[in-house]
Amino acid sequence: MRSLNSYGDLCQLSEVIVLRVFWAILLMSLTLSSWAMEEYMDVQSGSLMGLGHVSYGARFNERHNVMVGAGYVPKLSYHREMMLYSLRYRYDHVAQWNIGGMTFKPFSVGAGFLIGDHSDLFLILPDRYPEGYYAPSALRIVFNYQASLQVTQKVNAYFDMSIVDVGLLGYVREPEFYRDNYDYFGLEGITNWGFGVRYVF
Amino acid sequence: MFFKMLKLKSNIALFTLMAFVLAACDYEVSPWATNPDCSDRVSIEYNIKRLAEYEKQVGPRDTYQVALISDPQAYPGTFQDILEHVNTLPEVDFVLLTGDLADTGIKAEYEWVCKVMEKSKQPIFAVIGNHDALAFGEEIWDNVFGPQDYSFTYQNSKFIAYNDNKYEFANVPDRDWLAQETQGDELRDYTIVFSHIPPWDKDLELSRELKDMGVDLGVHGHVHRFDYWQLADVQLPHFATTFTKEKEFGLLSINPAGFTLENCNLSRCEVAQVRNR
Repeated sequence: MRSLNSYGDLCQLSEVIVLRVFWAILLMSLTLSSWAMEEYMDVQSGSLMGLGHVSYGARFNERHNVMVGAGYVPKLSYHREMMLYSLRYRYDHVAQWNIGGMTFKPFSVGAGFLIGDHSDLFLILPDRYPEGYYAPSALRIVFNYQASLQVTQKVNAYFDMSIVDVGLLGYVREPEFYRDNYDYFGLEGITNWGFGVRYVF
Repeated sequence: MFFKMLKLKSNIALFTLMAFVLAACDYEVSPWATNPDCSDRVSIEYNIKRLAEYEKQVGPRDTYQVALISDPQAYPGTFQDILEHVNTLPEVDFVLLTGDLADTGIKAEYEWVCKVMEKSKQPIFAVIGNHDALAFGEEIWDNVFGPQDYSFTYQNSKFIAYNDNKYEFANVPDRDWLAQETQGDELRDYTIVFSHIPPWDKDLELSRELKDMGVDLGVHGHVHRFDYWQLADVQLPHFATTFTKEKEFGLLSINPAGFTLENCNLSRCEVAQVRNR
């Protein structure tokens, strides 16, 4: 059976415009931000953000960060080719240790919006559905934890663990299911991981 | 100074090495991957074989039951509770899972529901629901479960699954295929169809067509409540099973005198009464 994967040109155009404008405005707002304490470039792989994800981030005081980024997944046997766009917030806890001359920051948490740019996904509900029938299939909320290592004054490397919205919701609703079926208190069933490098300007 | 630099470089090298080792493992590049970790035990092909072997083993049975579970989307835990309860019911020979296994069609949701389905002691047959086809769910479905339309025969009754998710698929249900599947010269007690959505209000003619094809019962989900109805002038009963959130399921009992349907929870069942509409 053939699925109705393509929808109206107008709808598709709207989505493209929304995606591009979303990304462009946020990028501009960050690059023009003179009020940021620190600005940095971040390259990440995995943890739901794409095979590669480049972000531009700004730190606004000791702890609060905002990042906007774009990622890419090439065509794989288990994945369609697509671009990903993100807007993320991260809180860096002040705890840190010196290890072999490097600073280890064990605890940062964050959340962000992730948009998948593919014609089979939608941000605006296609016309064939009644109003409000589905939430946007192209938009996910991703929660994450990071532990980072400051390898030089300007370079940080980090490990990232993430949970997608339905995973967190499911775990809160039915923790026993995840604990019964997965290791590490059931977190194995909902977490994903990746790593990245951050360069401070 | 030289040794400090050497130490720093060693640490960077160690981190890089660790990153590459980790990268060699399978990690999730996005929520929209299409390779859920599901075993063959959930596939339709496997379960048809499994049921045929079971039928051979038990021989003819005058009386048996079929558990009807639907819409486990977003609640794999309650789905597991229901299935573990169904596993204890001695008369249940197989399970029909009438759609919406996933809520948003992403890989992780399919993995959770597969985890539960793999615990079924009886053969378990899923039919695609509208939510299952969201995002890249259709591709996942085809890879994990197999066909969207299929049939099997058990104890002289034919069970026919069909896709009727009109918003997500073109030209469904496939009426020609249904007509073909309902025909046949074999000795048959009942012809029972199952799909996610009961005949749509805009397409109630389907109920009449199914009746004309010789169908005796339709089993569905989607409406998130128990419902058992027939069009007064058609007299083909359609039973909708509620969703799993409330730990409820349906039970179809087949015996020489006919079939009965019950609305069940984990402690008791009540016979469902068909209403005319």
